[in-house]
Amino acid sequence: MKMSTRVIYATLAAGAVAVLLYAVPAVAHHAFGAEFDPDAPIRLQGTVVRVEWVNPHSWIHIEVDNDDGTRQVWMVEGGTPNVLQRRGLRRECLPIGTELIVDGYQAKDHSLPRANGRDVTFTDGTKFFLGSSGTGAPGDGAEDRSRTGGPGRC
Amino acid sequence: MGSTVRYPRKSVGSEGGRKMIVRHSALFLVLCLGIAAEALVAPASAQAQSGQWVVRRTADGHPDLQGNWSNATLTPLQRPRGQALVLSAEEVARIEQGRESVVIERAGASDPDREAPPAGGTNPICIDGAMTCYNDVFIDPGTRVAIVNGEPRSSLVTMPANGRVPPLTAEARQRREESQEFNGQFGLYDHPEVRPVAERCFVSFGSNAGPPMLPNGWYNNNYTIVQTAGHVLIMAEMVHDARIIRIGDGPRLPSHMRPWLGDSWGHWEGDVLVVETTNLHPLQSYTSKSMKVIERFSRVAEDALLYEFTIDDPTTYTEPWGGQVPMNALEDELYEYACHEGNYALSNILQGARYEERVDAQDLN
Repeated sequence: MKMSTRVIYATLAAGAVAVLLYAVPAVAHHAFGAEFDPDAPIRLQGTVVRVEWVNPHSWIHIEVDNDDGTRQVWMVEGGTPNVLQRRGLRRECLPIGTELIVDGYQAKDHSLPRANGRDVTFTDGTKFFLGSSGTGAPGDGAEDRSRTGGPGRC
Repeated sequence: MGSTVRYPRKSVGSEGGRKMIVRHSALFLVLCLGIAAEALVAPASAQAQSGQWVVRRTADGHPDLQGNWSNATLTPLQRPRGQALVLSAEEVARIEQGRESVVIERAGASDPDREAPPAGGTNPICIDGAMTCYNDVFIDPGTRVAIVNGEPRSSLVTMPANGRVPPLTAEARQRREESQEFNGQFGLYDHPEVRPVAERCFVSFGSNAGPPMLPNGWYNNNYTIVQTAGHVLIMAEMVHDARIIRIGDGPRLPSHMRPWLGDSWGHWEGDVLVVETTNLHPLQSYTSKSMKVIERFSRVAEDALLYEFTIDDPTTYTEPWGGQVPMNALEDELYEYACHEGNYALSNILQGARYEERVDAQDLN
């Protein structure tokens, strides 16, 4: 589609509307419901084949076994990697071959094997930011994470 | 209302506790190096002979605002109706412990045999509302309420006294209606140009980079301040936006020139850096042709700044409004936020819209 002058004006007008309606802090990089289909919930289980530690969202590629015996790589969207970096997690903490379970919603374009990673866990259900000896909450600082070891726990 | 609580100051945003590699863009590096060459910081003398904290100063004698700071907080922008400005100890505990319990709950293991999440739902952002868009691994909105002058606050907005953004003027409501009518000609997903600027990786989340600089409620509410006699640079981690404030009273930009972060000029009123910004970009979070944002930066402790802002725009709001936001020392470094490079979201959104159009067309046939 070709951009028109009208679209530029519309964009400017949209900005004016945004300020007037602004009342609470922004809640996401993008409108979630614009990218993913709320009527296409999905559960995936597969092995990590690639990790993109990029902003504005990290993307984890997992290879999944289909019912017909074929295999397919799905791209799973996570949150910003900056938070993970700040918690001491790096891309290397999720090595290739790690098996994950993901639940979320498929991209609106159903021809794309992409989904949001609403809840990303290991196969035992644990989150990959590392449980700790403290509260278990992210960033509780209860232990030296460099010693925890294991995938997602470096 | 119960008793209020006064905290010993505690820094926020240090949860990782791990230093990171700073990877600035080439432009930002050039700016920083150029300005840093000018920034001769006075010998550290933060601790006076008396043991009382004394503000650190730069070579030109002004308070040193430099460092990495975070304005992450659990305190919302606007105050819930009927709430007092200062929270009671019980209210603070409820808010902070409530958040902590949510984090702990969400940090717990999920059922490995869980099914796909429910279809549909009413939450337009995260669909089902049962969880956030992503589990709490990815979210870092802060762990404490905002503390200003030792007071735990119920809102960042402090003016007007009810802590609420004032109503729009009739003129502003008219502008809004005209904008909505105009925008109604276009589909929400027709072009990338009609998508929000944050989605297009142009500038911050909401008003993160400002002005006014406000926490986004999700993550990366971090800033680096570099200061010289002639300039103050503020880089917001979201979306790697750097605002350069000129110190002095030079000529303002002409009205038609509107940078993303506006035209900012600062001056010192005693130990307070006062910054006036006009010419805000029309796509910014807070903007209008006549809007003026006044910011006040004060170094109130070795590990804290007080950030105050006022929005003055009689064409948009029925009265000026503003607030106070604590900025606490960030022990970590800021990390590069190269938003464009990995922005699959925008293409997914547009592809999704085209897909739905094809499906609708096939259904019609």
